[in-house]
Amino acid sequence: MPRFIPERSNFRTSFFAGGLRVFGAFVCMGTAFAAEEAVQKPIKEVSFLNEIMPLLTKAGCSSGGCHSKPEGQNNFKLSVFGYDPRQDYNEIVHDARSRRVFFAAPEESLLLQKATGAIPHEGGSRFGPDSATYKALLAWIQQGAPYDPPEAPRLKGIEVRPKQLVLEPNGGIPLTVTATFSDGSTKDVTAQTVYSSNDKELVAVGETGVLKAGAARGEAVVVANYMGVVDVVRPVIPPAKRLAPADFKPFPVQNEADKLIYTRLEALGLLPSVQCSDAEFLRRSTLDSIGRLPTAAEAAAFLAEPSPDKRSQWIVKILADSNYADHWAVKWGDLIRPNPSRVGVKPVYLLDLWLRDTFRRNVPYDGMVRELLTAQGDTHQNGALAVVRDKRDPVDAGGFVSQIFLGVRLECAKCHHHPSEKWTQEDYYQLAGFFGKMRSRGQGISTPISGEAELWWYDPSGKGVTHPITEAPMIPKAPDGPEFPYKAGVDPRKQLVEWLVSPGNPFFAKAIVNRIWGEFLGKGIVDPVDDFRASNPPSNPELLDWLAADFTAHGYDLKHLMRRIMETAAYQRSTLPNATNVADQRNFAHALRRRLPAEVLLDAVGDLTGNRDTLGGLPPGARAVQAWNHKLSSDFMDAFGRPNASLECPCERERKPTVVQSLHLMNSSNLQTKLISAKGRVATWAASAKAPDEVVREIYLAAYSREPDPTELLTALGHLSREGIAKGESVQDLVWALVNTAEFVFNH
Amino acid sequence: MGTSLNCNGIGRRNFLQLGFGALGGLGFTQLLQQRVQAAAKAKGTSTSNVNCILIWLDGGPSHYETFDPKPEAPSDIRGEFKSIPTAIPGVHFSEMMPQLAKIANKFAVVRSICHKDPNHGGGNHYLMTGSPTPVPVGCGSFVSFHPSLGSMVSQERGVRNGLPGYVSLPQMTRSGGPSFLGAQHSPFVISGDPSQKGFRVRDVTLPPDISEGRSQTRKGLLSSLDRMRRIQEAAAEDPLLGFDESYKQGFNLLASKDAQAAFDLSKEPEAIRKLYGENDFGQRLLLARRLSEVGVSFTVAYWGGWDHHRTLFKTFRDGYGHKLDQGVSGLLIDLEQRGMLDSTLVVCLGEFGRTPKVNKDGGRDHWPGAMSVLMAGAGIPGGAIIGATDPKGYYASDNIYTPEDFAVSLYTKLGIDPHQVLHTTSGRPVHLVNGGRTIKELFV
Repeated sequence: MPRFIPERSNFRTSFFAGGLRVFGAFVCMGTAFAAEEAVQKPIKEVSFLNEIMPLLTKAGCSSGGCHSKPEGQNNFKLSVFGYDPRQDYNEIVHDARSRRVFFAAPEESLLLQKATGAIPHEGGSRFGPDSATYKALLAWIQQGAPYDPPEAPRLKGIEVRPKQLVLEPNGGIPLTVTATFSDGSTKDVTAQTVYSSNDKELVAVGETGVLKAGAARGEAVVVANYMGVVDVVRPVIPPAKRLAPADFKPFPVQNEADKLIYTRLEALGLLPSVQCSDAEFLRRSTLDSIGRLPTAAEAAAFLAEPSPDKRSQWIVKILADSNYADHWAVKWGDLIRPNPSRVGVKPVYLLDLWLRDTFRRNVPYDGMVRELLTAQGDTHQNGALAVVRDKRDPVDAGGFVSQIFLGVRLECAKCHHHPSEKWTQEDYYQLAGFFGKMRSRGQGISTPISGEAELWWYDPSGKGVTHPITEAPMIPKAPDGPEFPYKAGVDPRKQLVEWLVSPGNPFFAKAIVNRIWGEFLGKGIVDPVDDFRASNPPSNPELLDWLAADFTAHGYDLKHLMRRIMETAAYQRSTLPNATNVADQRNFAHALRRRLPAEVLLDAVGDLTGNRDTLGGLPPGARAVQAWNHKLSSDFMDAFGRPNASLECPCERERKPTVVQSLHLMNSSNLQTKLISAKGRVATWAASAKAPDEVVREIYLAAYSREPDPTELLTALGHLSREGIAKGESVQDLVWALVNTAEFVFNH
Repeated sequence: MGTSLNCNGIGRRNFLQLGFGALGGLGFTQLLQQRVQAAAKAKGTSTSNVNCILIWLDGGPSHYETFDPKPEAPSDIRGEFKSIPTAIPGVHFSEMMPQLAKIANKFAVVRSICHKDPNHGGGNHYLMTGSPTPVPVGCGSFVSFHPSLGSMVSQERGVRNGLPGYVSLPQMTRSGGPSFLGAQHSPFVISGDPSQKGFRVRDVTLPPDISEGRSQTRKGLLSSLDRMRRIQEAAAEDPLLGFDESYKQGFNLLASKDAQAAFDLSKEPEAIRKLYGENDFGQRLLLARRLSEVGVSFTVAYWGGWDHHRTLFKTFRDGYGHKLDQGVSGLLIDLEQRGMLDSTLVVCLGEFGRTPKVNKDGGRDHWPGAMSVLMAGAGIPGGAIIGATDPKGYYASDNIYTPEDFAVSLYTKLGIDPHQVLHTTSGRPVHLVNGGRTIKELFV
């Protein structure tokens, strides 16, 4: 709201502003602009919060690599993305003996001199003396650098327009961003907003908010961020050749998911790839759902089975396989297993048993999460408590729950508001509040031993959680959820779980169906799978909604969800692209090739050769997917990437091929020993009385779940009948070669 | 402040300006994309040929019994050993280090690196990564909050001659992992004792029972049977192309006569094997030299058991002292004879020094207030004794340096910008080394 300076009550501010008018008018050091305005027009008071802070953010002053590094830059420290304006104000106006703003000669303020590069500044010139930014800063200093009074309007939200954005290749369109304030006023903040595009080749966005399409076609996501408040637009460059629903007639629809995917593909002008072969389906579905290769016998039977319904039958059959529990326990171990040298070996072992038992009994997902998040008792009896013991600080527990069960990476908001999202520190510490009433007794964390049990229980007199800056007590609340004030006698964690599993929860079901979809399809609908945010929207929101609703309606049954996913035509597509979909990575127009995870690949080698590794702490003959922690020594699994048990989980799996991997498969004594073992299957094949082509067929079925084609059969038979090589060795070489092919190492 | 040039000729000031310009107006997703691009760009772009051999004495070696004796201190501090003169007038080492004393003109000792973390877990992390742990960690912890020196070198150098950039013998150090750089920058661990008969460097050579001819047969069979179609269009991002590249690198390594010879310690003349000491540690250093020679950028030789809380003097007399003295002096002499010292950075350290007062068990306990770090090669002036501790060896007292300074110096010697900004998996910007300055005496 415009005001006249003389009306101001702040003595110091008025004094300096008044003095300045004189200074500007008579000495005239290039401030005609400000001086004139000050004398002749009512001066609009420059708001620190709503004008100065956005400018500093836009200019990059408060970026993480610069003045908001933990130690600041050159003794000038701002909060990251301006999360603590009060502190920033003090830093600018009062710190460094107030050298940064110089009221007697505002242009000489260090803040302006440095930012324009007039005096040496490691960050260079951030804006010129003719820029609007400079003028606003100067005016603010001339006004005495006031801080906003408590009743000053606060930013409420922003909106980017236009919302429906269809561009032609190389076309452009300007965005406008409007901010809304608590007093109902609005303001055009287009110039002060920070923009980013998820695909700059497709649609670039300039500093002033002008979109510029590239030569390609598709859909981009453009995020506008004004003072930590974000809005998103999704500009589309439609396909050159429009498809019609009729174009999708030839492709099968197994359930609603397929329809939703075709709708999306039609809009993007992508035709789906053909369906994969029976052999590919068999191998792919078995590896994805239970983490092992189909046996040669299973493969032969499946290929010979005439029933048109055999894929659905197979899905039902494998989900009942005993490997199911082990395979998914490994995956959940990656997400929640603590470092055994932190919480103790026994609790980690018990957690592993708990996970395997949970999957063995197919406990519904809501029940599994309830057990995990509300665990109490003795860490040497209740496996789920290992997680409680590990995430013992409510602040860590909150961030963990958010990432694993809500799919929201809140950890940025632990220290500052999220750089591209609406999440604030309140969101982070309120979520932690659910864990603020836990008490423990016992040894605590004393690495590497943590050998003794610890007891954990809900204690109504627990001290709760306070905000790190305001120190206000936090009322438990999940992001976008209602507040749950502490109630005597009610474990707040139970309230969190009830909210999580309530129908219509915006995150819970979506987070898990997306995670499982990502496991099977190689890419989440939201990707990365635990990074739900406005600036990373789902590639197909309707698909995600449908899967989540279906999962909820079926009692959070994970096997039901997996069945749904595996039965889709989308899951059963070929990995080979067609001319329209070759660039598609996220709309499921073709299947994606994925390297087998370390444990699964080691088990595949073990099953093919009939020789398994003996892993420390496991009985002989145990499968790698039965390993209960990532520290069991194994060069094989180290090469193919296990999560680093020393890192904070959730731990990511590296799927990149490396020379260490290829060298290990080519030359390791591990594989060579398995090939030459007298007890192994290679020896059995070598000694087999069957005709050589039968032997080759069996090896192919065991390795690839398919028969060799005539060329392959010819090559293999030619090799087996070579002169000068013992038959045993030639079979070893054949199996060696198959293990080293992409078709073996990848799921496809 | 002067403007120093990094290996690509870009000044730090320029770099920062680039960094700010880039960071200023960018959103989160762009930062992530930049990170990906930077990672792709970084792969193998460092042109420096200086490799590093880092000798890690796990547990924390005593500075008194190695390079910083205190002959004037009371006997409960001085310990049982005498000090001896070295090739540098006025400089004394412990009598446990006679060979190194003779060649003290070939290396530098920094006596004034210190920190405040007396736990193995934290101290290891601090010196192995240049970054303190963000939270206190216990003595037994194996933590990896920040990329280790070797993992970072691996990221910057990539695969050279088909060899991984980072090798660790015979095991990895606690905090020697890649953290958020990803598993492809984990150390390639070569276990086993190279002084034993039948020792074989795993995986990089053919299995002993596979002849060259049979290997060719296998290779031919593989190329005719690996028939899954590759999708060549770049937009398809077919992971099989990377898979093929990894096999190409692997086969090239097998075909390289130089590399294959390097893995075979028996090819080394008997005199040289003896120079390093005919024991596991000495032969590991020899292997490290041979690996450096064929292109491994960063090799860690790990030696555990330096946590001498009891019977320290006996332990030193019974072998620790001699093995260390012989192995490290052998390595330095050999590198110099082969003309490799200028292109090889040799570092020898542990996580901290040890307590001044000998305890009731005849040992010394953890003491991060002072430690001695040996550094040589890569232009480091021989004979430099950098910094000092107080007369009783309690604390670094002159030209005090931090583990950050150590990391900055190491990266700078290897042509890696120590102040570059990395991004964690969640997109958070992190400085490779947070602050720190070069140890200027190493750069004269």
